Amino acid sequence: MIKHHPSQELLQAFVNGELPASLSAGVAIHADMCPACQANIANLTEQAAENSFEQAFLHQFVVDESDDISDIDFDRMFEEITQTDDLASVTPSQAKFVTLKGKEYKLPKQLQHMEFASPMNLGKLARSRINLGEGEIHSSLLHIDPGGSVPQHTHHGYELTLLLEGSFSDEMGEYHAGDFILLDQNHDHSPVSENGCLCFTVANDALHFTKGFNKLLNPFGSLIY
Amino acid sequence: MVQAQMNLPTKPSGVTSKGMKEQVDHRQLSQWLIAVAEQRDKQAFACLFKFFAPKILRIAQSKFNQEAQASEVVQETMSNVWRKAHLFDNAKGAATTWVYTVMRNVTFDMLRKVQSNREDTLSDDFWPIAESVVAEEDTFSDHLEKDKILSCIDELPENQQQVVKGFYFMEMSQEQLAKHLNLPLGTIKSRLRLALAKLRAQLGGKHD
Repeated sequence: MIKHHPSQELLQAFVNGELPASLSAGVAIHADMCPACQANIANLTEQAAENSFEQAFLHQFVVDESDDISDIDFDRMFEEITQTDDLASVTPSQAKFVTLKGKEYKLPKQLQHMEFASPMNLGKLARSRINLGEGEIHSSLLHIDPGGSVPQHTHHGYELTLLLEGSFSDEMGEYHAGDFILLDQNHDHSPVSENGCLCFTVANDALHFTKGFNKLLNPFGSLIY
Repeated sequence: MVQAQMNLPTKPSGVTSKGMKEQVDHRQLSQWLIAVAEQRDKQAFACLFKFFAPKILRIAQSKFNQEAQASEVVQETMSNVWRKAHLFDNAKGAATTWVYTVMRNVTFDMLRKVQSNREDTLSDDFWPIAESVVAEEDTFSDHLEKDKILSCIDELPENQQQVVKGFYFMEMSQEQLAKHLNLPLGTIKSRLRLALAKLRAQLGGKHD
């Protein structure tokens, strides 16, 4: 049962196409598993279409229209587009797989055309970074072996964990496949996965370990997530 | 069912307050899109172009600094509308919603190109413009749907049935049908159009 969902603001930004690819993928994967958010997105999309194409414009727009559009040769554009009668063919995409610590996972279709770096193992964790070219924002697939955990940490920025398979828990409760968990610096947690799991993670800064001995791990914070 | 004649407003007229809705004939837009998909109808595409292109340009101009990029969004979006019209499903939503999806996807990929220097086209993975191509779970409902279509076809006037069955079940071209039935091509086209309008009204009329 999915209990954690993207906020309404996030869904709106997703529909507007304003989120980075990493977060868009997260929302899209969640929506695929969550009929409620799917319906919500369909609604927002309809509204966005309405705002784009059905709002009457002020009179000034009529003036703008003739100004702006004079630069663009719509007739030529039309001719170019309709030169060929061919319809685009749609080929169903092949399922793709990724192997982390010897376990093979089927990739969600939203991640199929992304480029994965070779996995890196850190004790009971294994992660494969996804190369999206989004600067500070790091996306990864994170596998946790049964009994594995991420030491207690907080984040300077945000951290999205989208649980794809299996389950894990932290101080706030237990999470299951489809849960969309977005945390910021106000949260301190130490996830543990009793039976192992696979997550899609997005973070815009390194983890910051907060407790005792684990503080020594801080230089490695950027390696996980 | 006779096609509703309707002139699209080319200019907002009599609009006084902001946020007031332009009268949009959704049914007409869908019909144009379907005509583009099924008959590669340039006239219908010209109507869609006239309705959407200036609006898309205005939106793109608010997202991209360079005029060339905004213009590319219009070109790419309208080109996808022309080439992918067959992926529009009248039963799943309005034509405006579908075109919005196409536009948003083009814009997303373009922004990525500008900001992250990436040439990938991830947008269709996040926002599929055709619902996943024949997913296996759909097979069962497809059967039901097919039965429903068949019974609707049987209720069509005989001369329309002939054309629909020849076109869809025997996959004859409109030209072949004209020759076979010894009728002018125009007659075949109009019978097909009338028949489709009727079927659509019966199968998914409420979404129009």
